[in-house]
Amino acid sequence: MSLSKKMLRDIKINKTQFIAIFLMAFLGIFAYTGIYAEYYGLVQTSDGFYTDTNMADAWIYNTDFDNASLDKINGFTTQSDRQEVIQSQADMESKPDITLHFIEKGTISKFYATEGEDFNPNDDSGVWLDTRFAEARDLKIGDKITFEFDNRTITKEIRGLGYSPEYIYEVSPSSLTPDFNEMGFAYLSAKAYPEDLKYNTLLVKYDMSDKDFEAKLSSIDYLSLTKKEDQLSVSKFSDEMAQHKMIGDVFPIVFILVTFLTLLTTMNRIVAHQRTQIGILKAVGFKDSSIILHYLSYSFWPVLAGAILGLITGPMIIPQMFYPSMKTNYSMPSWNPGFDVSFIYIAGLMVVLSVLVTYLSCRRISKENPANTLRPKAPNVSSKAIIEKSRFWNRLSFNMRWNWRDARMNKFRALMAIVGVMGCVALLIAAFGMNDSMAELKSWEYDDIVHYESKLLLSSQANPMELYYVLNETNGSFIMQQSIEIKANDVEDTVTLLASNNTDLISYTDSNRNPIDIDEGDVSISTKLADKFNLAIGDEIRWHIVGEDDWVTSKIGQIHAEPISQGLIMSPDTLKDQGLNFTPTNIITDEKFGENLDSIKSVTTIDKMKESWDQMTTSVMMMVYVVTFVAGALAILVLYNLGILSFTEMEREIATLKVLGFKTNTLRKLLLTQNIIFTSIGFILGIPLGFYFMTLMMNAAGDSLYYIPTLTLGNIALSAVITFAIAIGVNLMFSDKIKDLNMVEALKDVE
Amino acid sequence: MSTIIEFKNVDKEYKSGEHILKAMDNVNFTIDKGEFVVILGPSGAGKSTLLNLLGGLDSVTSGQIIVNGNHVESFNDNQLTEYRAKNVGFIFQFYNLIPNLTAIENVELMKDIVDVDIDGLSVLDSVGLGNHADQFPAQLSGGEQQRVSIARAVAKQPTMLLCDEPTGALDSKTGVLILNLLQDMSNNRNTTVIIVTHNAILAEAADKVIRIKNGQIESIAVNENPMKVTDLDW
Ligand SMILES: Nc1ncnc2c1ncn2[C@@H]1O[C@H](COP(=O)(O)OP(=O)(O)OP(=O)(O)O)[C@@H](O)[C@H]1O
Ligand SMILES: [Mg+2]
Repeated sequence: MSLSKKMLRDIKINKTQFIAIFLMAFLGIFAYTGIYAEYYGLVQTSDGFYTDTNMADAWIYNTDFDNASLDKINGFTTQSDRQEVIQSQADMESKPDITLHFIEKGTISKFYATEGEDFNPNDDSGVWLDTRFAEARDLKIGDKITFEFDNRTITKEIRGLGYSPEYIYEVSPSSLTPDFNEMGFAYLSAKAYPEDLKYNTLLVKYDMSDKDFEAKLSSIDYLSLTKKEDQLSVSKFSDEMAQHKMIGDVFPIVFILVTFLTLLTTMNRIVAHQRTQIGILKAVGFKDSSIILHYLSYSFWPVLAGAILGLITGPMIIPQMFYPSMKTNYSMPSWNPGFDVSFIYIAGLMVVLSVLVTYLSCRRISKENPANTLRPKAPNVSSKAIIEKSRFWNRLSFNMRWNWRDARMNKFRALMAIVGVMGCVALLIAAFGMNDSMAELKSWEYDDIVHYESKLLLSSQANPMELYYVLNETNGSFIMQQSIEIKANDVEDTVTLLASNNTDLISYTDSNRNPIDIDEGDVSISTKLADKFNLAIGDEIRWHIVGEDDWVTSKIGQIHAEPISQGLIMSPDTLKDQGLNFTPTNIITDEKFGENLDSIKSVTTIDKMKESWDQMTTSVMMMVYVVTFVAGALAILVLYNLGILSFTEMEREIATLKVLGFKTNTLRKLLLTQNIIFTSIGFILGIPLGFYFMTLMMNAAGDSLYYIPTLTLGNIALSAVITFAIAIGVNLMFSDKIKDLNMVEALKDVE
Repeated sequence: MSTIIEFKNVDKEYKSGEHILKAMDNVNFTIDKGEFVVILGPSGAGKSTLLNLLGGLDSVTSGQIIVNGNHVESFNDNQLTEYRAKNVGFIFQFYNLIPNLTAIENVELMKDIVDVDIDGLSVLDSVGLGNHADQFPAQLSGGEQQRVSIARAVAKQPTMLLCDEPTGALDSKTGVLILNLLQDMSNNRNTTVIIVTHNAILAEAADKVIRIKNGQIESIAVNENPMKVTDLDW
């Protein structure tokens, strides 16, 4: 059909605009599906992993689950499996901590072997080992490994390497990121236990509500119960996913909204611009339906192509940018991007809405009688605004008056420009704000709080003589750092305990980063936790050290602020006052310590700590880069599109002004002024919105991070430079167009 | 009377691929100051081309266009802009007013390009539109819009008014009004007015009639006793 020839020619003439539409559809869908695919990937992969390994619904702890109590529990559970869980040290350099699981059946929370054999509950000479630990220590199938615990020693042969659903996250209280060189887990058959085994853990599956289950369980003797969602690894990983979801709920939605807005305006404008052509087509006898169909294909093809490309590449590319850093912190057999039908819906919605807007604009025009359409549409201005009647108006330059009127007559285009810029600016501000915040947290922690050079990790079976020797050699100080579980006001959380004497090596700070003292006898809680638990000085909390059963009650004596780890701080004596032992886990020192001693498991320097901070924040930083990039690209597209829209709409006016004798420069300034004004308004409105996004994202960046979001001048300046550079850059592209504008041709046709 | 415009051997070629089209073929003529000139010719003859070349919207392929002793064909972009600003008042078939600006603002817009003090209201009065000054183009009839465009063109007191089918989109009664106005400009203000039209009747009102065909001058006739536009038999 000849109309398709017309379409091809139109596309060729408006090449850049169609490319912009295509790119915008692409970018919107790319960012949206990509970021969500990352999140869904985490959800789907972990769910799949839990299902494949038949993850336990709850863990019941006791000193010994004998057959009698097991029988009782079996009465209201669907499955159960007993284990003896023991902390051990592997007999190799630095004595890494390995958690041993001696398993009766191996039917719940199954070991997921990726190498070697599957777990065999009858094999008494084999061990199935944490693959992350094995990698770090270069252990292979068939290697022998010796574990020491409770003055016993067992040596087993590695039968399989793999993962466990209970260890997606492995705790390591003394470092920010898990150090797989120093810890791991191992699964063994119950028969591998050197003597008569007492089971201290019972894994169960049940098909009733948690509440009913707890009610049934109350008739049975046990020490404690952990439900699946409270299990450390599960809750850590679901926190992580919640953070990703939070980020995912802000950015892609802004992206997609800005994209929709620009896309729809553009489609509407293109059709409006073809008004006369529509009139002509009608006048020569084309049916309404074939005209509309013709224009529908304008939006359909580029948007469809862009959306499909985004739909394919987004989930393929974006998740792979995040997963490597996730892998350093979490362990799962596979990391696959997720997919959700909503991706297809949103891409479909984009195509459908674009087509719909085109259809509506088109139908409105084709409903008019052809004679009408053949004349330019009367601008919809009715009366003068007050400002235009004032004296002041006449003193305004032509440039200002013209731009004011243009904005008034094209309110939608103006609004669209402002909203588009606003969205992009907000994204930039939020992204840079995150960047600043993370840097601020790092400097707060490592410049203001930590003054030691190295932190020595002590073996749990350290020799006291050796420790005091090291303490003297290094002029160091003992600290104790442990994961603790806190309960207060019906809230529970796993956080960190720091017990340390007053030393110059650590400064405590308040929310303004000013040094404070934590007084002898005071239990101090970090601000973020106090807020979370809704606690004030004088309130009581219950807490215990993870892995120990003694719960203690303490009164809050003080509140301190800590940027990167939340929890309690007290002196060793105060700890003893609570009825707990001070067992040092680390020595901190200002000096270097290079001796190889059995009591010292590892030495972490401040540089290593900073490195591990950087590693921990990679995924946040990655998000910052992705967002900055997409926001920048989107800003270019939005401004370019609007530029091209106003240019085509004003082409005739510009030609007229040129004929009248206006200089190219004056005309360029006309467009530039408009561009700058819209960009400025969008920019100013974008700042508070960006601040809001930033707050959302910082909250999402981590439960353990405490930060007061602030807008720095640097951030605003950088966002301004980028935004205005794009605005002016886009304007420059149009300068040449003005210069080369062929007046004769521009004025020849009616439109 | 003094010659103000001279075309010397003007050629204008349009290339479209291999094909070369001569829109102006060795065109020669002169126009005196204050003359009321009518250009006639069939469609595609090159009338608009001639006007556009004269108005500095397009450039010649060869030949010379001399206005007020200056060689327009040798102007660069900036000189052309200045030439258009000072010397040329264009009036188009479709008015080409700035839709954003009211009638009076369209006229006073000219203050931005020439150093003349313009009293927009009195210029509008002179085309009979004093009481429509604050209306936007879309709120004016076609004839009224064309009168605003004439007001805008004359406001900067150009050397010449170039009118490409100024009545083409108007009914004949309004057309006469417009043409009368243009004749007055020529008679009373001594402005050179050049009108392209299809309507041969207007020839009787012209001081000079230039007929073109196929890009060439067919004839140039000087009218000793031009009639008043309003006296013509429409
Ligand atoms: N940009 C262009 N490219 C190629 N050829 C052109 C161009 N502009 C005009 N022409 C050709 O030049 C010739 C003269 O065109 P012009 O517009 O001057 O005619 P005209 O006398 O004004 O006709 P009309 O009375 O129909 O307006 C025509 O044959 C036309 O096809
Ligand atoms: Mg013509």
